Amino acid sequence: MDRREFLKLFSVTVAGFALFGCREGVFGPSVKAAKKTPAFADFENEVRLALSKMKPAMELVRIPMPSALKTPGASTENRFGMAIDLDACDGCGKCVLACIQENNIPLSGRAQAARGQFMHWIEMCGGVPAMCFHCGDAPCEKVCPTGAANHTPDGVSAMMYKRCTGSRFCGANCPVGARKFNFEDPVDSGRSLQFNSDVPVRTKGVMEKCSLCLQRLQDDRHDFKALHPGEHWRGRGVTTACAAACPKNAIIFGNWLDEKSLLVLAAKDRVLYAPKAVASLDPSIVYMGERR
Amino acid sequence: MSLLKRQGAFSGVTPFKWAGLVFAVVFAFFLADFLFCQKAAPVRVGADTSGPNTIAFLHALHGENIGLDCSHCHTGATSGAKAYLPAKADCMDCHRLPLTENPGIEKLDSALAAAPAYPWKHESALPEHVVFHHGVHAAAGVQCADCHRSAGTAVPANAGRGPAKNNSMADVYGGDNFTMQSCLACHRGETASSKNFKRAATYCAACHR
Repeated sequence: MDRREFLKLFSVTVAGFALFGCREGVFGPSVKAAKKTPAFADFENEVRLALSKMKPAMELVRIPMPSALKTPGASTENRFGMAIDLDACDGCGKCVLACIQENNIPLSGRAQAARGQFMHWIEMCGGVPAMCFHCGDAPCEKVCPTGAANHTPDGVSAMMYKRCTGSRFCGANCPVGARKFNFEDPVDSGRSLQFNSDVPVRTKGVMEKCSLCLQRLQDDRHDFKALHPGEHWRGRGVTTACAAACPKNAIIFGNWLDEKSLLVLAAKDRVLYAPKAVASLDPSIVYMGERR
Repeated sequence: MSLLKRQGAFSGVTPFKWAGLVFAVVFAFFLADFLFCQKAAPVRVGADTSGPNTIAFLHALHGENIGLDCSHCHTGATSGAKAYLPAKADCMDCHRLPLTENPGIEKLDSALAAAPAYPWKHESALPEHVVFHHGVHAAAGVQCADCHRSAGTAVPANAGRGPAKNNSMADVYGGDNFTMQSCLACHRGETASSKNFKRAATYCAACHR
C-alpha cells in the first residue's frame, strides 16, 4: 500500500466513523420510543422487597416538642413536621408506595436492591417508617458546597436539584442515611415513571431525599396568598402523601408552631422520641410513644 | 516536508483530490448533522393565523379600550396558578353579537366560523423546577404588563415554528431574555422605589422544587 492509498483509505474510514457517530440522530427517536418504562407493579414489588429487607430499629431517645427554629430569618409562625405514632403503625408500607407515587421516586437497580439499597425516601426501620428528619440544625446542609441543600424559613430541609453537583458530602454527613443518590440516570436506565407532574424527575448525579412534600406546601401557600392577601399562612389543610395514605392514621403532618394544628393536638400529651443520632439536631419529624 | 515532496503527495493534481476528499468528509459530517440531529423543540405555540380564513388576534383591540380585564379571557390570571387561554366559546360570548352598528365584517365572521374550538395552545416556557403563581403576584399588586411587557401587538401567525419574536403575549417574560434575575429584581426589593412592590421571599424553595 502506498501513501496515497493509505490516506484515501484513512479518510474514508474517518468519514465512516463520523457518520457512525451520528447514528444517535438517525436511530435515536425509535430507540427512545422503545425505551423501557417500569410498570406500576414493579414499584409495588420493590416496596414488598424493601419490607422483606427491613433495616433494624433505631435507638430512640426522648426529646421535647419541637419549637421555632433558632436560625436567623426563620419563621416564628410555621415549622412543618410530622409525628409518627409508634402505637398505631403496623408497618404495612403503604406510606412508602404513596411517597413513590407522589415524588416520582425511581426503582433502584437490581444489584442495589439485592444489597437492600433503595431509592425510597421512606424506609422501614424495625417496623416503623423513617425518612429525613428535617433537622433544624441539619448537618447535611452545612457541608453542601453549592447550597443545593438548604433550609426554608418554615422548617423544611429542601433540596434544589438543579443546584446539586453530586458531591455526596450531604449523604456522608447524614446521621441516618436518609439521602439517596442517583448514580445512574433514572430515566435513561428505564427505572423512572413520572406519576406526579408537579415534581421534577431527578437526573444522574443528583442527591434526593424526603422533601416533606414541598410541592404541596408551595401550592397551598401560593393559593392561600392569592386568595387571602395580607393574612398569615399557617399551612392548614396541607398533608403529606405518606400521612394521607396511612390507613391507621399513624403519620400526622402539621405545623409545630400552630396550636390548632392536628400535629400539635396529637403530640402534646404524648411522649416524643427521636433517633439517638439526630436527637440533638432539633428534628422536625418525631415518633410519638405512650401517653403522658 | 521534503519527505512528502519526494513521495509526491503534494505534487500534480493530487492536492486537489486530497482537498476534495477532506471536503467530502467535512461535508458529509455537516450533512449528517443537518439531516439527522435534533432541532430545537418549539416551546410556545400560538394560533395558526396563516390560513385564508384567519385573522391575527390583536390585544390592542380587546384590552382596556373596550373595558376588558386580562383575566376575562385568560381565566385565572389574577387568582389562579396559571393564566389559561380562551376557548372559541369565550370569544363567541361577545362575537356572536354584532360589534358595531355597521354590517358585520365578512372576513371576521368567516374566520370566527372556521376557528377550531380551542384556537390557542400555550406551553409554559417555565422550567419544571420553577413555580410561578399568577394569583400571588396579582394579589401583591403586580400588573400583568409588568412582566408581559409586549402585550398589545399581534399574536404570532407562525404556529409551531418555535419562539416567535416580537409577537407579544406569547413572548411572555421577555422571551428568551428572561432569567431568574428578572424575578429577583423585584423579590429583592430593588424595584421597591420605582414600582412600589414589597420585598418578597428569596429563599430557594419559595419558587423552586
